[in-house]
Amino acid sequence: MTLLTVTNATVQFGGLIAVNQVSFGAEPGKVRALIGPNGAGKTTLFKAIAGEEQLASGTIHFQGQAIHTLTPHEISARGIRRTFQTGGLFGELTALENVLTGLHTQIPSSLGGLLANTKTAKAVEKAATKKALNLLDMMGIAHVAEQWARDLSGGQKRMVEIVRALATDPPLLLLDEPAVGLAPPARLELMKIIRRLVEEENIGVILIEHAIEFVMTVSDTIIVLNNGEVIAEGAPEEIRQNKDVLEAYLGR
Amino acid sequence: MKLNRSIFWILPLLVLALPLVLNQYLQYVVNLILVYILVAVGFNLVVGNLGQLAFSNVAFFGIGAYASGILTTQLGMPWWLTVIPAGLCGALAGCAASIPALRGVRLFYLAIMTLAFGELMRWSYIRTPDLTGGSMGLTVPEPEVFGWMLTTEYHKFYVFLFIVVVVVIATSRLLESRIGRAFLAIKNDENAAAAMGIPTGQYFVLAFALSGFIVGIGGSMYAALVGHLSPEDFDLIQVILHFAIIMVGGLGSLIGSVLGSILITATPEVIRHFEWLVGSEEWIFGGAIIVVILFLPRGLSSLLAKVNPIFKDRYYRD
Repeated sequence: MTLLTVTNATVQFGGLIAVNQVSFGAEPGKVRALIGPNGAGKTTLFKAIAGEEQLASGTIHFQGQAIHTLTPHEISARGIRRTFQTGGLFGELTALENVLTGLHTQIPSSLGGLLANTKTAKAVEKAATKKALNLLDMMGIAHVAEQWARDLSGGQKRMVEIVRALATDPPLLLLDEPAVGLAPPARLELMKIIRRLVEEENIGVILIEHAIEFVMTVSDTIIVLNNGEVIAEGAPEEIRQNKDVLEAYLGR
Repeated sequence: MKLNRSIFWILPLLVLALPLVLNQYLQYVVNLILVYILVAVGFNLVVGNLGQLAFSNVAFFGIGAYASGILTTQLGMPWWLTVIPAGLCGALAGCAASIPALRGVRLFYLAIMTLAFGELMRWSYIRTPDLTGGSMGLTVPEPEVFGWMLTTEYHKFYVFLFIVVVVVIATSRLLESRIGRAFLAIKNDENAAAAMGIPTGQYFVLAFALSGFIVGIGGSMYAALVGHLSPEDFDLIQVILHFAIIMVGGLGSLIGSVLGSILITATPEVIRHFEWLVGSEEWIFGGAIIVVILFLPRGLSSLLAKVNPIFKDRYYRD
């Protein structure tokens, strides 16, 4: 079963066609990577899936329903969660509060309940806090829960961002350059986490990445974009030997 | 220093005894501080928590004050019945003020548009003399609560204190919940906030409306306190005053809103008590603001938080 189906998606900025008639899909339990030179349209495609950019034409379906007309928060609530290339974390919130913000849609307390400080409102908040702490603990970063997010190291920030995205158990996770700025051991750790998520939790992952060895190791299939168009698609080994890809991106 | 959270109950209780030691004039100053606490709490929601450079606060303040004044003079309503309607008028103005922000207006553009809103309202007070008394101002009758007339400053004090405590507690509950987190998330990164499933537009409207509601209530208290409203009470000087209060107190901090209101409102009055300082109020006032902002960029609340961590409210950020 496909989780996400992008059909003939085109994104235009004025006269510039950033993404041109792109079609691809994502399945549960698989890692799909988008690679390509800078300006190939990878992040624009990500933004289109997340609802931050409008499609000029084409469709995007998630679990059988059209999502390309929805707003970013609606798409997030449907179960597509993303991380960001830079920033992304709420620096003025603690790591724990960042994860709690990730749980926003699952904390159903009403305005009246909060004002009256009802038992239900307190219980809901308490349960969410417990869940957030558990998630941080599972990723081995429970010790930074009370630290301001902006004071965390690059690796810790990335982990908190992934925990925050995963907090609502989304079926599809979009990772925008997750390995950037990570030291080799942290990359290895990240790779293990991504493989565990897809193999054990059956999550679908789409990631953008320039670290080519990382991509080759972690991905099940790779899509190569160049000038807004798909120029190749296949398993890592096929991509490594594809002539067009070598010319446009990997180099000889 | 050993302290616990009970201090947040003991302090207001001590404050209850203030009328025993203050004369009518000083009591008036304290009452004015209470008015400004609400003005600052509301303003801080939009600027300190939601992180928007919006200066519509003076408009909310004036609308609340005039709503209360008009309801008492034109409809003969007792003052206490006008408090909530004044808040609702402020909230409505808040919804209106959030429209530019909803359409993507930010930073300086938002600042100038919201400043214009305040000036437009001041112009409206002048141009509708039948309702507002125009530039001559509007004299409002002595405030009445459940048939009791608040004839002295001491009477007003207890009613004001009650309102302020209720509003501050309610606001702190909201800020410590998912709503407060959503505001800060939007302040830090709007796109990331939306990616968490937070309907950012709704939260913009909510923050501005809550701000307008709280400041509108402050306006109704102001009308009851001064007894005479005039359009100049809500001019650009007020914008600077409100901004100074939350900057000096601490952006995004409730305790900061309280501290800033006390300091900024009380300082000129204290100076006036020392003969040799008279005439240099503005210098001292301006200098104090500069010193606080230079050396305590997160305001007085950060100083208090260093003294003892119990003052580190969850909505305080250092």
